[in-house]
Amino acid sequence: MLALVARRLMTAVPTLLAIILASFFLMRLAPGGPFDGERPLPPETQAALQAAYGLDKPLWEQAWIYVSRLVQGDFGPSLVYRDFTVSELVAQGLPISLTLGGLAIILALFIGISAGLFAAVQAGKAADKAIMMFATVATALPTFVTGPALALFFGLWLGLLPVSGTGEGWSWLIMPVVALALPVSGAIAKLTRAGLATVLKQDHIRTAKARGLPETKILFKHGLRPALVPVASYLGPAAAGLLTGAVVVETVFGLPGLGRYFVQGALNRDYPLVLGVVTLYAALIILFNLFADLIYGWLDPRMREG
Amino acid sequence: MKALLKRDHWPLWVVFLVIALALILPAVLPWTYDQIDWDAVRAPAFSGSHIFGTDEIGRDRLARLAAGTRVTLTVAIAAALVSLVVGIAWGATAGWIGGKVDEVMMRFVDALYALPFMFIVILLMVIFGRSILLVFVGIGLVEWLTMARVVRGQVMALKQRPFILAAEAAGSPPLTIILKHILPNIAGVALAYLMLTVPQVVMVESFLSFLGLGVQEPLTSLGILVKEGADDMDMTPLGLMLPGGLLVILLVCLTIEGERLRDIYS
Amino acid sequence: MSIYEIRDMAIEIDGKQLVEGVNIAVEAGQCTAIIGASGSGKSLSCLTPFGLTPGVARGSITLDGIDLIQADAHQMRDARSRLTGFVFQQPLTALTPHLTIGAQLQEAAAQAGPPRSSRHELAQRLERVGLSRADERLDQFPHRLSGGERQRVMIAAAIAHEPKLLIADEPTSALDASLRGEIMALLDELRLERGLAMLLVSHDLASVEGHADQLIVMDQGRVVESGPTASLITKPQKEYTKRLMAASARLDEPAPQLQEVGDILLEAEAVAVTFPRPGWRRGKIKAVTDIGLHVREGEALAIVGGSGSGKSTLGKAIAGIGPLTSGTIRWQGQPLPERRARTVAMRALIQPVFQDPVASLDPQWKVRDIVAEPIKHLQPEILRKDRDAMVLKALEDVELGEDYLSRMPTSLSGGQAQRVAIARAIVASPRLLVLDEATSALDPLVGSSILQLLRKLQQTKNLSIIFITHDIASARRLCHRIVVLDEGAVVETGDMDLVIRNPQAVTTQKLIAAS
Repeated sequence: MLALVARRLMTAVPTLLAIILASFFLMRLAPGGPFDGERPLPPETQAALQAAYGLDKPLWEQAWIYVSRLVQGDFGPSLVYRDFTVSELVAQGLPISLTLGGLAIILALFIGISAGLFAAVQAGKAADKAIMMFATVATALPTFVTGPALALFFGLWLGLLPVSGTGEGWSWLIMPVVALALPVSGAIAKLTRAGLATVLKQDHIRTAKARGLPETKILFKHGLRPALVPVASYLGPAAAGLLTGAVVVETVFGLPGLGRYFVQGALNRDYPLVLGVVTLYAALIILFNLFADLIYGWLDPRMREG
Repeated sequence: MKALLKRDHWPLWVVFLVIALALILPAVLPWTYDQIDWDAVRAPAFSGSHIFGTDEIGRDRLARLAAGTRVTLTVAIAAALVSLVVGIAWGATAGWIGGKVDEVMMRFVDALYALPFMFIVILLMVIFGRSILLVFVGIGLVEWLTMARVVRGQVMALKQRPFILAAEAAGSPPLTIILKHILPNIAGVALAYLMLTVPQVVMVESFLSFLGLGVQEPLTSLGILVKEGADDMDMTPLGLMLPGGLLVILLVCLTIEGERLRDIYS
Repeated sequence: MSIYEIRDMAIEIDGKQLVEGVNIAVEAGQCTAIIGASGSGKSLSCLTPFGLTPGVARGSITLDGIDLIQADAHQMRDARSRLTGFVFQQPLTALTPHLTIGAQLQEAAAQAGPPRSSRHELAQRLERVGLSRADERLDQFPHRLSGGERQRVMIAAAIAHEPKLLIADEPTSALDASLRGEIMALLDELRLERGLAMLLVSHDLASVEGHADQLIVMDQGRVVESGPTASLITKPQKEYTKRLMAASARLDEPAPQLQEVGDILLEAEAVAVTFPRPGWRRGKIKAVTDIGLHVREGEALAIVGGSGSGKSTLGKAIAGIGPLTSGTIRWQGQPLPERRARTVAMRALIQPVFQDPVASLDPQWKVRDIVAEPIKHLQPEILRKDRDAMVLKALEDVELGEDYLSRMPTSLSGGQAQRVAIARAIVASPRLLVLDEATSALDPLVGSSILQLLRKLQQTKNLSIIFITHDIASARRLCHRIVVLDEGAVVETGDMDLVIRNPQAVTTQKLIAAS
């Protein structure tokens, strides 16, 4: 198990470095820069700005400086939000995005697994079909449709929940988290249901039945863990999906999370900001995949040797 | 194909109906999608010649809906085909050659899978400008990963099947084996995943357009319409509900059909 | 009175009657075996009374005085858990993958009620079924154990709660041939030691006849014949039983008359096959090392070994459809190169037939195209209309009619599919057939008819045959000589009857004991 984690970490570092460098060079090779405003700046101002931000050095040197600072936790200055460093912006945005994503995945796992379990127990009956239909629809619900639709209904029409901003208490979290969690919970419900349907037909379930164990014990002790293996392998893509979904949700509900900074940075060619956010996202996804591997190993001991 | 038309494939028929309407309506309607009716800004539904009313600057909703659907589906199908071609080529090569080549090729796919891909696509959009061509090339290049994995798995499994060995013993050259034995046997699965890729691409394209990073004015797409509707939803909720509803219906129908096909072939 | 008795049982699934008129009785300390082909209803008859199939049973079923048909849920659970133990066919999948051996054994021991067994007791149970390092194994997960070891764990779990009846559904058929004898011996030993009543299910008469007191022969959902094993084997009454007896090859039957053999056709010298390890690990896996053999014209050579002995790898290397790392293969003195370097003329000499008949045929192709494939590539000069005639002739040779031409493989039974595969192999008139377990996946009756067909083809076409198998008794019906493989090397070779009468190598002795 430890060896597996070590091996994954060893591939994770080069992967992360490759992503950072690829993004870095791509951005620098593109035509246009952050100081192309409406009014062209005088050449000497341009040059002064370039020098101030180190943009006049050779590319590889810039890359080296960037990576070596990154290791110390310094993401560099933001080119657009001139009074802030990227680290400061990230420090503001990350907690909000993490709260959104974390709550969404917990909610999705809870709803998805219980719905899938219930449907599997009711296999073939009306409840099963209804749940599966509902799950399919939920999977196909894009956050940029559910987000505004929820805001319209619960915010504008019923006036129950705040439509924009963080505001007081926890109520501002409800709609963004639900919009994020819905498609993921649908997918998890389907995977759980399908996983159980496969596992419950397997030989070891028959062995457990032959021992006269009660149905619930067979389901939870012998059936559920192997049935959740597909769910575990979905967790990686789900995390990536949640992070992208968070970009939309933060835009729709006006939350100052990482995703908003990313979109703003991308539209304004704020290199350090975009690079910083991409690096963080990549690190988060890699970390989450590692976590998913650990769950995988717990669910199925055969995976531990990897 | 015949089986598709026979059984209760209502989701497929819904998709066909939407496509047909998207193709026919622009020719029939009195308004084009970018034409402004100065006399009817934010007109309610069924007012005059505007069946679904007009938006906040007086453009006919139905015409815009038809145009947006057309763009969205065109991008989706084109990108899905790109993913099909790249995915089959990559997956079949890795699976057929096997060994170290397979190992390297699939590690590459694994590495790409681990990337926050939507962000890379957004980066590309920003760097190379926002053209519709780039939108679907970018998306197609992302979505081929699943196809490559599935095809590779199928080819690996098929390669072990004795009928492939028998074909080799029967003197069939490798290319003949691939074309006559391997490809026909993965066609069904590939078709199913193609079907599942289309809604994925629709989702990605709409997502990009919603953020203002995808399709650009004057062209429109379902994502742009949802964005416009969301911005104006306190005045005219219909502007959000129509494109949003249509998008969800398309996604649901395509997903149901795709999953059904996948369950048949795997 | 019998411990377990079934009278006039019928079984339905979804309103369809699959089994009827079945009578079974098992005495304490004795073994009753049910024999039948797949689809005969043998497993269904054994498992349905305990609610382990979707079927519904009618009739009279009593276990230790409890009427299972009338039983309420509580009595049923009691019967299932306190009185019976089960051993299933697939030791690979019959254990729960995420629970340790100890946890599963504990669960099995506790099914008749508390108290929990101590760790020491559990370890003793594993030792009793012949597992070494028992204490260590309690903490292991099933995937760490070999197939034979897992089946021993299954047996330990099945008797952990001291049941009165043990039901063993094909307990050895998924195991390697050399292990089967040991597992059957263990079951016998435990049965006698504890006075267990045992109900054994198998498709293979030879593997149970030495162990069962009573035999029940089933076919198509009915009991064909039943009675004490010895009398049933020596004096079968019913036609089906007679055919079944004739189909099961046994080593004590008279040696068959085999045809004369000619000069050496194929010769292999110092053949070795190594595979790279999967992934990035260094080193090689040696599948076959330094093997030499020869086949004469009109001769049938058996290559026999357990799974992992390298017999299939060797066969593929000879047939030119698998890698050959070093060594030489010669055809009448001329070297045959490695797989990709073989010319069309060389390929035409040797054709393979495989174990799984359904997987041997491309599911997308019609029988006509499947059989025509070798002609198209190996004899491209033949015109299309002559090709059709050749296909028909080949189908006729394997006793299939013209109506098979446009059938799809999925519509064929196992035996029919294997005949089509043989037709494809012989259509371009090869000199040597390499048959890789060509009869092992088939039911005994079908398998023996395929074996007969092969003998006929060998005689009429003067074919040479390499017959790769784990089953010495079937090989003896066809083959002149035998080569026994173990771990990729030849451990014994010689004339078929001489080797069977006086086996030298341990591997050969084990394989013979399993037949």
